[in-house]
Amino acid sequence: MTIRSLSAKTDTGHSVQSQYSVYRKIMANKHVNAIVVGAGAGGGIVAKELATNGLSVVLFERGEWPDYDEHPNDELISQRTEVLGSPFGPDHIKNPRTVTYKGGGKQIVTPIRGGYSNNAACVGSGTVSYGAMAWRFMEEDFKLKTVYGHVEGSTLEDWPVSYEDLEPCYEKAEWEIGVSGDDTQNPFAPPRKKKQPMPPFEYNQEAKVLYEASKRLGLHPFPLPMLRNSIPNNGRAACIRNRTCCGFACPVDAKNGTQNTVIPIAISTGNCELRTACKVVEIMIDDRGKATGVKYFDRNDQAQIQTADVIVVSGAAIETARLLLNSKSKLFPNGAGNNYDWVGRNLQGHAYTGAYGLFDYDILDFSGPGATVAWCDFNHHNPGIIGGGLLANEFNRLPYLYTNIRPPGSARWGKGHKEFQRSMYHRTAQVVGPIQEMPMYESRVTVDPEVKDFWGIPVASLSGERHRLDHEHCKFLSGKAEEILKEAGAYQTWQSVGGQGGPSGGQHQNGTARMGNDKKTSVVNKYGQVHEIDNLFVADGSIMVSGGGFNPALTIMALGYWVGGYIAKNFAGTKFK
Amino acid sequence: MTTSNRRNFIKSASLAFGSVLLFPSCLKQKSGYRFFTPEESLCIIAVCEQIIPKDESPGATDAGVIYYIDRQLSGIFHYDQETYRNGIKNLQEYTAKKHGKTFENLIFDEQTKLLIMLESNQLNETDWPQGKPADFFNLVRSHTMQGFYGSPIHGGNKDYMSFEMLRIDYPLVIGQNRYRT
Repeated sequence: MTIRSLSAKTDTGHSVQSQYSVYRKIMANKHVNAIVVGAGAGGGIVAKELATNGLSVVLFERGEWPDYDEHPNDELISQRTEVLGSPFGPDHIKNPRTVTYKGGGKQIVTPIRGGYSNNAACVGSGTVSYGAMAWRFMEEDFKLKTVYGHVEGSTLEDWPVSYEDLEPCYEKAEWEIGVSGDDTQNPFAPPRKKKQPMPPFEYNQEAKVLYEASKRLGLHPFPLPMLRNSIPNNGRAACIRNRTCCGFACPVDAKNGTQNTVIPIAISTGNCELRTACKVVEIMIDDRGKATGVKYFDRNDQAQIQTADVIVVSGAAIETARLLLNSKSKLFPNGAGNNYDWVGRNLQGHAYTGAYGLFDYDILDFSGPGATVAWCDFNHHNPGIIGGGLLANEFNRLPYLYTNIRPPGSARWGKGHKEFQRSMYHRTAQVVGPIQEMPMYESRVTVDPEVKDFWGIPVASLSGERHRLDHEHCKFLSGKAEEILKEAGAYQTWQSVGGQGGPSGGQHQNGTARMGNDKKTSVVNKYGQVHEIDNLFVADGSIMVSGGGFNPALTIMALGYWVGGYIAKNFAGTKFK
Repeated sequence: MTTSNRRNFIKSASLAFGSVLLFPSCLKQKSGYRFFTPEESLCIIAVCEQIIPKDESPGATDAGVIYYIDRQLSGIFHYDQETYRNGIKNLQEYTAKKHGKTFENLIFDEQTKLLIMLESNQLNETDWPQGKPADFFNLVRSHTMQGFYGSPIHGGNKDYMSFEMLRIDYPLVIGQNRYRT
């Protein structure tokens, strides 16, 4: 076996000579129909859609298969705190980023040190450890500009797709991944053709109290839709109401993600090869503006090349933007799809906002995951509020995180602090929700000119601020949360109001390769196809035009079906050449 | 020399000359800490006990919070080593100057008063030459909370003491909650 300088051939015969001599390979990787970069909520679904339609697929994942047994019930190594590590990746030493805060200099951050906006890096990505709320966006969420008009200082825009377009994809996500819920109890739910496949979860004690109280206020509580099994489903167990759910892998595999549904289906077709621990660093684009393949480092940190007819990027908003920006070519000198400087722009996430209430009895029963009742009364149609957000009772509070949950003016340490922790841990209810953020042109991902990762690749750099309206909208939503808690009998309440500072991002990161009909003001078209590069697609939260007042997982999955379905349907004709 | 040969050599040499000659480090008093000196540990133990004091349920000392902090400082929190080292030095020098004692030998309420001064940055540069006192205090506060309320696997929360105090279940199987009647 000899190591030689690379000169890969695409099936059209023109050569792709690597400009870096370090890119060598030991054996040529077989050319495939499609490459999918990232085995998360979007990429896992695209891989399945393509593989089941007969395309040969290589699915790249920079992490490994998740392992429940590694950190069971360990708050300090959970997605909720990441104090001592990220259980689902990425490696905190090899993957730095930089963040620039207003008024402060640039800081290098890691997944375990503030501001990193970590999602996950493993097969299934965030869908392994998420809270698993299964929200459909409402019809208004796809046409915010039409509904609310232009918002000063924001790039708020309509989506080029409507709710009606995506409805069949939402349905597929609900049935193929697995959702428990009953939308008929939510009068604000968008129209649907088919019910959710599993019955809703029973309310926990906190939810029962809040449900009754909010009814008295004239609100419309309903059971929170969840990507978890309320009954045995798909060969896996029903949820055991484990206390530590959100932020952890499920010990009985009752939480549904792409890692235990569509990815195994894709692999079982024989058409999809999953390559874990492989770090894709660049999309190769030839002089005619066609994507030809990707450069990547394999699990032994050897530089490799994989060629394909079609490439789909699903690395989540920050890494997808970074990969596009790091893919410079003759026709796209500033990165793939970035000739109009929109890649990485409009980085959004969710400011969380809500209220706490203290009760004089044990209101919590700690049955998992905690969040079971929700309200959509504050999504749209509230005077003066653009978008708004859902409210729900919160996922079970964890002991260390709870040390920072205190009414204003409380002891931060010492006897008083400990006494509060002991006596109020079971008596603190929380109502909280994500606000629709106003997209900002200057809130963005760029690649850092100096800092490089373990593999020598320029890292993602986050900068920018939230729109001033976010905080105003958060105040509104927190006020509503506090009203519910007061009516429920809390003897003391206080608000926790989000939406200040920035940059945004976090686990709900989205918006950095936005969809649009005009190539001058967006990155991809309505099918996730990069403008001017017909065989390059994006399928993850990046293409969302706005983040909604909802957790985005089910919408990212629906977009996976939308983009994957489009590619599968149109591949046979031209192969997007 | 192969591994096996080296082992045999050490074994036989130890028998012949005694381990003290071969391994002089064995003569040193074993502190049980990876990062802290025994003196430093006494200071931090006292600070942690102030943050989570023993009352009707165990405090930070009982739960072994010092072992959590010591272990993380020699590993994942290595970048906080200097803050600890300087902070302890500043605190002990100030206490010696004002009270003629070490921090851990002050009475409980005196310790509390002093830490409130740290928390609110009341010491000037003369009294606290390196860094800000509040930064040091807040760091120890966070680490103490983590060590006390986190999983015992990381060195603190001995025998799940804090979980017992909080009446939460372990192992995490519904129906096996030990603290609810």
